Amino acid sequence: MNIEPTKLDKAVLLKVTGRMDAENAHEFEQACEQWISQGTRHLIAELEGLEYVSSMGLRSFLSVAKKLQSSSGSLILCGLHGLPRQVFEMTRLIGVFPVYESAQQAIAGL
Amino acid sequence: MDRFARLTLPASLNSLKALLDFAHAGAERAGLSPEQRNQLDLVLEELVVNVARYAYQPGNGDVELAYAVDGPGALLIEISDKGRSFNPLESSDPGLSDSLADRPTGGLGLFLVRRMAGPITYRRDHDRNTVSFRFPSPQSLEP
Repeated sequence: MNIEPTKLDKAVLLKVTGRMDAENAHEFEQACEQWISQGTRHLIAELEGLEYVSSMGLRSFLSVAKKLQSSSGSLILCGLHGLPRQVFEMTRLIGVFPVYESAQQAIAGL
Repeated sequence: MDRFARLTLPASLNSLKALLDFAHAGAERAGLSPEQRNQLDLVLEELVVNVARYAYQPGNGDVELAYAVDGPGALLIEISDKGRSFNPLESSDPGLSDSLADRPTGGLGLFLVRRMAGPITYRRDHDRNTVSFRFPSPQSLEP
């Protein structure tokens, strides 16, 4: 898994590519926590290049979203497709997160 | 002769990649699509993580993955351990509320296994837990 951050006006965009599994999901959580500790309120996870996510990844997404919610912020997802989208739909997490087709749409929605 | 190919490794996260690579050889022989292989990875990861976390005292036991090609396009999978008795089919479904505040962060792994793998059987014999299923599930192939 690779995480590439871009600082925007109102948010930080994290482009996540590869596979998020039990071995590395904590890296995503740590990357998000760094930005949150610097005062970032909105994180946009761009998941176009995410090929795989297991329950440990879902746990990280939920944990980050809960932290952001407690400071009136949000974790926004975009570009979900393939197995990750199937997993978010099966677990009905698709209705828990703000989900957009593209990063542009997510940014416009802030 | 045992028609299953078998790999036994320590029940830990460090074994996950080798176990998935082993299963990929079976997935290739059965002719699973890349999408099905990804789904199989998910089911296997959740089951192996479950054994690694809950079956034994940390670092104290093995997990065995076995597969057999069950006709074109299908694998029989068995995952077993000698840890404490645990039937993953009996774990309760997590709450699936649409409210972030009401969603627990965990509990989704075995839920995903049951949804993704289709019919699963569990047996406990000779102090051994064995979970087995056919992948993809016959149900998922129905129109």
